[in-house]
Amino acid sequence: MVQRMDRLREKEMSRGALLFAFNSPKYNYYKMAEFTAKRINHFLGLPVTLVTDENSLPEVPNFKFDNIVLVEPDKNNIRDYTVWINKGRYQAYALSPYDETILLDTDYVVNSNKLLQTFDLDTDFCCHDTTSFFMNPKASQELLSAYSFKTLWATVITFKKTQRAKQIFECLEMIQNNYEHYANIHSFIAGVYRNDYGLTLALRIANGHTMVKNDIIPWNLMHVGKNTSVYADNNNEFNTEYTIMFDNWQRGKIRKEYINIKDMDFHVMNKENFMELITNE
Amino acid sequence: MDTKLLISEAKARFNHNSAKAYLKEKYETRLIIAEQGGLWRANLETINFLNGSTAEFVILVDTFENPVEVNRKELLQKLVETYDTVMREWYNEWIDLEKKR
Repeated sequence: MVQRMDRLREKEMSRGALLFAFNSPKYNYYKMAEFTAKRINHFLGLPVTLVTDENSLPEVPNFKFDNIVLVEPDKNNIRDYTVWINKGRYQAYALSPYDETILLDTDYVVNSNKLLQTFDLDTDFCCHDTTSFFMNPKASQELLSAYSFKTLWATVITFKKTQRAKQIFECLEMIQNNYEHYANIHSFIAGVYRNDYGLTLALRIANGHTMVKNDIIPWNLMHVGKNTSVYADNNNEFNTEYTIMFDNWQRGKIRKEYINIKDMDFHVMNKENFMELITNE
Repeated sequence: MDTKLLISEAKARFNHNSAKAYLKEKYETRLIIAEQGGLWRANLETINFLNGSTAEFVILVDTFENPVEVNRKELLQKLVETYDTVMREWYNEWIDLEKKR
């Protein structure tokens, strides 16, 4: 494996990031992608390709992407009573113009150059399997269901253009197309399609129904979770300091708690909060 | 956003334990480096082993649990450098945090 990766590196690999962003009636994912892409350029020094649809393109763009790939979105997914276009992530392999790609969710705040290290890992595909919440460090890990696998996270995926990575994305497509069947087998709710669940199963299938340690990013995915908000400490374009505020419910009352963080990437689960964050910055 | 004003108006309390956990997450991550075809944690156990050995090349199990043959001196130097830099930064940020008590 090491020799194969070395041979690949010798060829002058092109590197870049890939984002998927389709506006919903509730959220402007294109705007989120612009914010994230600017930070990818700044902190990682990588070009960014955006996968989006005609309807999401703004009249006056705020950022020039390396490439914009227009696709027909699959609107057949509902979450919180609104359309949530998150299907089709399996196309990442085919649509990425780079030899080595970091595929990110648009609500991931790049706040350091840490992700560049995923290119150095001895694997052609990696993602997170463990998360940590800023104000709840002892929170348990998510499982597909009570007796199933630990969930992998599609928030950050680094992959190289290899046959194995291609197979993983093909498995992801198969699972998306047969989501109800896999939900029955693994006892999770099929109502809303989740890439995290699709990825959990796809990677296992491609690895012969097992997990390979090399495919796991060796640090935790940091979440800004429930009852938690994040605020930029200043309005600089590439601010790296944030305040995390937590509503700690105790005996029917909220006690506000906070911490300050800097130079650390994080994933914002609350979309309203993320929109507020990018509007202020 | 003036976060100082936000904190004072919300009467928010600094959560020392969560801040400590955040520092641990942040700096433990930085102790991990990819070197000589393996992924290593710059911890005392690995540094001590490399320091105690006299062989030019040694075989170590990396954090992905793969055995890797490494040039002992080169890896030792890299791990010590990483350990010193990261632990100094961790310590400095920890000292700042302690002042918030």
